[in-house]
Amino acid sequence: MVTTSVIIPTHHRPDLLVCAIESARTAGTNVEVIVVDDASIDETAEVCRGLKDIRYVRLERNQGVAGARNVGIMKSTGRYIAFLDDDDLRLPGSLDAQADLMDKHPEAGFVCGAMIMADQDYQPTGEVILPRGSADVFWDLLELDFPVMPLSTLIRKECFLRVGLLNRKLSGIDDWDIFTRIAEVYPVLVVDQPMGVYRQPTPSSVQGSSSQATQLRRASRHQLRLLGLPRARMASASKRRAVRRRAINRIADTLLWNAAQYWPRGEYRAVCANIMVALRLNPLRAARPGAYKKLAKRLLTKAVIRS
Amino acid sequence: MPRASIIIATHSRPQWLPRAVESARAAGREVEIVVVDDASSDETAEVCQSLSGINYVRLDRNQRVAGARNVGLVASQGEYLSFLDDDDTRLPGSLDAQLEALDREPRAGLIYGQAILGDQEGKAERSSYPADCPQGDIYWKLLSRNFIPCGSVVFRRSCLSSVGLLDDSIPGLDDWDLWVRIAEIYPIMALETPVIIWRRSTPASGQGTSQTAGLVSLSVQQFRNCWMNLPRSQTASKRARRAAWRAFSENMAEHLLWESARALGRGRPGQALRDLSVLTRLSPLSLMRIVEHRILRVPQTGNPDALGFV
Repeated sequence: MVTTSVIIPTHHRPDLLVCAIESARTAGTNVEVIVVDDASIDETAEVCRGLKDIRYVRLERNQGVAGARNVGIMKSTGRYIAFLDDDDLRLPGSLDAQADLMDKHPEAGFVCGAMIMADQDYQPTGEVILPRGSADVFWDLLELDFPVMPLSTLIRKECFLRVGLLNRKLSGIDDWDIFTRIAEVYPVLVVDQPMGVYRQPTPSSVQGSSSQATQLRRASRHQLRLLGLPRARMASASKRRAVRRRAINRIADTLLWNAAQYWPRGEYRAVCANIMVALRLNPLRAARPGAYKKLAKRLLTKAVIRS
Repeated sequence: MPRASIIIATHSRPQWLPRAVESARAAGREVEIVVVDDASSDETAEVCQSLSGINYVRLDRNQRVAGARNVGLVASQGEYLSFLDDDDTRLPGSLDAQLEALDREPRAGLIYGQAILGDQEGKAERSSYPADCPQGDIYWKLLSRNFIPCGSVVFRRSCLSSVGLLDDSIPGLDDWDLWVRIAEIYPIMALETPVIIWRRSTPASGQGTSQTAGLVSLSVQQFRNCWMNLPRSQTASKRARRAAWRAFSENMAEHLLWESARALGRGRPGQALRDLSVLTRLSPLSLMRIVEHRILRVPQTGNPDALGFV
């Protein structure tokens, strides 16, 4: 009896895919690994055929990550769904731990955990991201103040039957969209332990489908639609305005912070894109007195750690 | 395990739903009926509770027809799938007849049939549609017009794992789009007998498909940005692509002219004008070709790249 279905959409990364599949297998018992090959034209198909105990689904036409995940959901038989990207890793035992917790809390929609950030060679950067919050994280998610990524999350399959599937048109932010929609009607669980390793993208690595600047711009646009969800609509106009303002500020902050990190690496195009989008979202942000506080603080702590 | 699943997406139309469910039950043996209640705020839930032997899925948030159908696809178990609108009815035994035909041709991905046009009460009114049912490789034909009645289709689940689920961002076109994507790869079959009764929509009946102008502009977008980018269209010759665009334009223009005439007849010149304004987005030759084919009766030629009967 399958408890958890791990859905791994993949496109043209057969070498990394094998590690992801291996990590998913060791992450739990009664796990079914579904690899959705999103119309790769390289050796992905052969590599998958050589692997035992996986369910290989071959899409003949590229559907994007969200479309491939939806097909995976359709093929799955477990009562819990875990999404894993083909370049990320699940930690051993993490799926079992989360599934046990979900069994104990039948009302919860999904459980998320901490994520270990790693560079392109899976070497940990020392940063661990832990979502903080209580059962109701809808507003935090809406404000982009709740760092949750698919690789550290276990979702109850039934949620998709209540709030709908992933939105294919939201490339790169489909996960944020679905987590927000689930959190609107379900309570959410958080565990402190790390559940997965996230391979952080750099502007030059061709991860995902679009740059960070484009994704965050899409997120700022999509937030307006999420603010139209029944639960958000029931809140007062001032609360919605505040949420909107804080989210825009947070997006602008992130863009500027990342631009500062890209600069020494000589990735000037990404720097320009980030600054342009940040200015377009919030022209006054760059002139606001507190704008560089966070930046300065983080740079200072980095310097201290180094010395 | 059921052999086939009929997925009925419904939204606030409890008066029609039981009839659709009963007709689906009578359409075949070993059939699972999945009713996806798209966040109806009326008595739909109670009505569904009173229906026995259905798989009732309740969406808390409205996902529109395509989103609800996708959820139905996830919730269903059958190897063969069919959509039925909540106001249409399946004819008795029709599903079994289609499955039998589909089983004979393992390469085919999808089988459709004819629809009888019914009046608002669902009673048979006129002849069946489409008059002739093209089969085999119908990709290019299907690009120019949607002659496949949505409820009449039965397709294999394996098609979805190769072309993906319905696109929920094109309301009113999602079914056409899926048939195009399936027909791109698989041969298509047809049963040349009526399998469903279609309740005809009027602007007053509040059905989703009544806005002609919007739907045609969306089709134009879909045709140019998606269908012409499918590998089969991309690798076709320029002549074939142009022929497809012209045939599509002609059909759309005809549809627009017809709808605007109807709007004029009902005394709605504004709507007629809105419908006609979309003509500018189509091929400039489309009006000439309508005259050529409809009035001068010059026979139409097929697409140069279409394969023969498979």
